[in-house]
Amino acid sequence: MNCSEFKKYSLLIDKVLDGDASSKERGLLSKHLAGCATCRAHYAQLKDSMAMLNLLMTPELPIDFTKNVLEQIPKEKRRLFRRWTAKHPVLATMAVCAVPMSLAVFAANRQSASQAKNAKGIVLTKASR
Amino acid sequence: MEAKEKRLIKKIKKGDHQAFAEMVDKYKNKVYVICFRMVGNKQEAEDLSQETFLRAYRYIGQYDMERKFSTWLFRIATNLSIDALRRRKPGVSLDAELPGTEGLALEAILPDNQASPDEKMVQNELETAVQKEIQRLPEKYRTAIVLKYLEDLSLKEISEIMDIPVATVKTRIHRGREQLRKYLIVLRGEKE
Ligand SMILES: [Zn+2]
Repeated sequence: MNCSEFKKYSLLIDKVLDGDASSKERGLLSKHLAGCATCRAHYAQLKDSMAMLNLLMTPELPIDFTKNVLEQIPKEKRRLFRRWTAKHPVLATMAVCAVPMSLAVFAANRQSASQAKNAKGIVLTKASR
Repeated sequence: MEAKEKRLIKKIKKGDHQAFAEMVDKYKNKVYVICFRMVGNKQEAEDLSQETFLRAYRYIGQYDMERKFSTWLFRIATNLSIDALRRRKPGVSLDAELPGTEGLALEAILPDNQASPDEKMVQNELETAVQKEIQRLPEKYRTAIVLKYLEDLSLKEISEIMDIPVATVKTRIHRGREQLRKYLIVLRGEKE
C-alpha cells in the first residue's frame, strides 16, 4: 500500500508525537489515518517503539554506591586545617609530631619548631616532619 | 532551582561531605540510567556514574547556581559516556557493535529448558532486544532518545545538555525514533 502524501503526513506525525500539533492538526492526522493504512501503520509503529522504551528496567546500583563515591573524594576540611595551622603553627607542629613520633623525638624537635614559629604554618608542618 | 537544593550545593561548595552524599543519593539513579543506556554495560555504567559524581565534586566551583543543577550533572554523565564509547571504537567486532549486551544476550542465547515463568522470559527477551536496538543507534541519536524517553527531560534541557539548538534536538529525536521503528518492524517480522 502506498500514500501519495506520505512525506507530508510523516512530518505531521512527528509534530503530533512531539506534542507540538494544534488540535486542528491532530484532527487532520486522524482523518487521514482513518483512510490510509500506510500512515496508520507508520504511526502505530512509532508509538510502539516509544512504548517499548518504557518497558526497560534499569538494573539497580549497588547499595554502597554513595559510600564508595564518598571514599574517593579528597579528605574533608583540608583547607580549614591549613587555615588553622597558619594561625597556630606551634600547636600544629605539636599535633603533627605527637602522633607518629615518640615523646623523646618530640622534645628534640621542639627547639627547631619554635625557631620556625614565624614561618607559614604549612611550611613549618612539612619541615618538622 | 529550589531553595533546598541551592542550600545543599552551597554546602558542597564549602566541602561538606554530608551534603555531597545527599546529592549523590538524590541523583545517582538518574545518572546511572544515562550511563547504562549509553554504554549498555552495567559495570562500565557504574564506573561512569561514579566518575560523574567525582567530577561534579571536583568542579563544583565552576557550577553556575543560576542554572539547573541536574542539567549540569547530566551533561557530565553524557559527555563521559560518549567519551567512553569513542575510546572503544577501534577494533570493531560484532561484539563491540553491541557493547555490553553480553550478560543480557546470554539469557536469550542459552537454552532455557527449565520452566521459568513465561512472562519473565518475555520481559527479558524484550529488554534484551530493546537494549540492543538502543545500542545500534548512532551515538547522537541515542543520546537524544535516552534523555527524552528514558530521563523524560524537556527539549530545552536536552539542548543544554547536548549543547545543540532545540531544533537539532528534535531532528535527532525524530531520526532516532525512526531508526527504532525500523528495528522494531524487523523484530516483529513486519513489512515496511
Ligand atoms: Zn498516508
